Amino acid sequence: MTFKMRLFSVPSLLISSIVLGLVAVLLYDPSLVYARFFDYIGMPAYQEAPISKPKPDLEKITVCDEQYPEWRKAYTIGGIDIQASDACNPDNPYEVAAFVRGTNNVIMPVLMRTQLADDAVVKTNDIDGDGDPDDIVIRVEVAELNGRSPDGKELIPGYEIAPGITPGAWVFAPKSRGMATVNRLDLTANHLLRLPSAPIRVEEGDNVTLILENTHYFPHTIHLHGVDHSYEYDGVPQTNEKLTMPGGQQVYKIKPRHAGTMHYHCHVQVQVHYMMGLQGLFIVEENKPNNWVQTFNVGAGKVRKPSQGVLETYAQEYDLHYQAIDTSLNNLIQTSNDPRQLAKRMNRIYDITDGTDDYFLLNGRSFPYTLRESLITVEPNQHTKLRVLNGSPEILALHTHGHKATITAYDGVDVNPLAQITRDVYSVSPAQRIDLDLYTKDNGVNSYGEGVWLMHDHSERAITTDGIAPGGNISQIVYRNYLNKNAMATTQGEDLSAYFNPEYYQGKLATWSAADPFGFFDDVAGAKISSYKEVLLIIVLGVLFALIVLLFVRLFAGVYTFFMKRDNKQ
Amino acid sequence: MIKRSGLLLIALLSLATASQASMRMGDWGMVMNENSQQLPQGCDSIASEQSITVKAGREYAKAFPGTIFGYDQHTFSFPRCTRVTVNFINEDQIRHQFMIHGLPTYLHPQGMFHMELYGEGEVQGTFITPNTEETYLAHCDVAQHMEKGMKAQVKVGGGNGDLPSIPGVSGQLNKDRYPLDLGVQNMLLISLLFLLGFAGCLFLYRRNKK
Ligand SMILES: [Cu+2]
Ligand SMILES: [Cu+2]
Repeated sequence: MTFKMRLFSVPSLLISSIVLGLVAVLLYDPSLVYARFFDYIGMPAYQEAPISKPKPDLEKITVCDEQYPEWRKAYTIGGIDIQASDACNPDNPYEVAAFVRGTNNVIMPVLMRTQLADDAVVKTNDIDGDGDPDDIVIRVEVAELNGRSPDGKELIPGYEIAPGITPGAWVFAPKSRGMATVNRLDLTANHLLRLPSAPIRVEEGDNVTLILENTHYFPHTIHLHGVDHSYEYDGVPQTNEKLTMPGGQQVYKIKPRHAGTMHYHCHVQVQVHYMMGLQGLFIVEENKPNNWVQTFNVGAGKVRKPSQGVLETYAQEYDLHYQAIDTSLNNLIQTSNDPRQLAKRMNRIYDITDGTDDYFLLNGRSFPYTLRESLITVEPNQHTKLRVLNGSPEILALHTHGHKATITAYDGVDVNPLAQITRDVYSVSPAQRIDLDLYTKDNGVNSYGEGVWLMHDHSERAITTDGIAPGGNISQIVYRNYLNKNAMATTQGEDLSAYFNPEYYQGKLATWSAADPFGFFDDVAGAKISSYKEVLLIIVLGVLFALIVLLFVRLFAGVYTFFMKRDNKQ
Repeated sequence: MIKRSGLLLIALLSLATASQASMRMGDWGMVMNENSQQLPQGCDSIASEQSITVKAGREYAKAFPGTIFGYDQHTFSFPRCTRVTVNFINEDQIRHQFMIHGLPTYLHPQGMFHMELYGEGEVQGTFITPNTEETYLAHCDVAQHMEKGMKAQVKVGGGNGDLPSIPGVSGQLNKDRYPLDLGVQNMLLISLLFLLGFAGCLFLYRRNKK
């Protein structure tokens, strides 16, 4: 009995704990105790590193999720020649026809193939008798994407910029009709409601009436950045106009005297509203005879009915709208359904000076979804006009692999042809626009030849999606010889389908998993018990834990008896 | 996801050609899938006629803090087999809709009766209530209008309960959180209630001990 008592006395427990602790460390890694330990006892036995995790069973996702491949061919609708498009998901040609003719001038079956309101684009009166209408009324609405619902967790109307990525956003959209979502069960936004705000095109000298119909729950305006307009229509609450409240309208009347690539955006709480997505291209086309311009280019990208002025020099034309998203601003709209709380969080609590951009978009999507809509497809010896808008808060350093294009205009003003610069990185300041002449002549300067060439912002954060690459605003310049029947480029590089899995951008897939048959760079599986030393180590740890528990019990009992004795004395 | 966005287009197309589906459309807006003639299954005849006026606009959001748009009324009740003429009035300068969902699909393609005004104005449309006890969703589906208050319910034959987040009627399923009012009155009330619970518990404990 007495022997046992002594064995479990406080000092003996303490000493055994320390000794066992030392044994545990020696079993785990003796060099922690003494660096040259193995010099004396010989080299440690070989122990295999943990195996790789099995490669994940990924759902095979179709790279091109085509819906209407027939829309890719060239069309003539209502006398309007609509160019072919190579995109996986091309623009609806009937919608293009309605934008070109005006929703008031197309027949019912054409309008029914769109989701546009009858008064979205109203074109009348050929005042100068040059074969195209000159009184143009354009109605835009403000739509929220990936907003909150009081009825459930699903975002409404839903819009993915990349696999599984759904930041909140606001956009200017052509006036539509019907439901904002696909139907009552599928809460995905209808195709008119998307990023970026739709590029708008008018003709120089047109009487343009732009009507903002504020369908959104916050006040907004339209500022016609760079477009010739009078002070009365500047869209600035601090100088010329009142806020356009929810349910209200604002009319902007312009007759632009100068053609070029311009910009439009909301001028209310610009640090918030601009970054939420209320920013778009506004293009004034040169006045030419029979110049029916495509008033909206939904989703930007290829202009399927370029203006007469553009067609004089170029075979085709693309609108390229770059923007960035800071989720700590954009996702605020998903935190409450109460606009009063949102107004406070967005305007007074969110601080853009502490903001960092997470997502980088080209025409409303990040890689790999850019491949479905924003490939620039070219033929050799062709001039392609690119209109580039930088809607992000940082400088865009746009790089075209394999090509040096020529900057023909800055901010809608032509560069003197003698002073035009040809380069491969185009620096575009925030809100700035440049016009590029992408000339595919294989001469070692303008082009290095046919192929599939990457095109991306060379500020490296912008090729990532919240830090994971390849993502961001990466797209491709593709020579049509390299296009396959799935409207994608056939490359010699790696299979891109892994990037269409949401898990990739959640950081759950090893970077080179799909491209690494050896499994050299797969994720490592957890370490398993594999040697007698490890077996011993775990047992020793168990004993050690028991000793420590006993130690605490003894100490507590000691303190308790001490106080009991003192109480009894009193 | 994009794949399905085409479905609506197809649906609209088929509506345009389907003989039973009616469609009126103009620069004022549209009325789609009206039914003033065809009897719902189980109805021997039109039991009664009713007409209602639904006003839509930001004006009607005032009564419900945290909403921006609304209807002048958020619950509509009708007997079964009743021909209802809806007089829909839009008081805003933007688009609004009054859209009823879940109706019999043999009467209304996609189960939807849809009235839409592109701006200020007024339009009439008709539907016949089915022979059921059911509560139907009525709303405006312009992006975020339902979420921000333009949501109503249509109860036929007494209905089968309430839908969630109907202004003035039912609460949210995905609830908004608000910070506490730290004013004297509210804090006093909170303290009193807290004390009541605390003291009550102690009192019961002591009584039990004795
Ligand atoms: Cu705004
Ligand atoms: Cu509405």
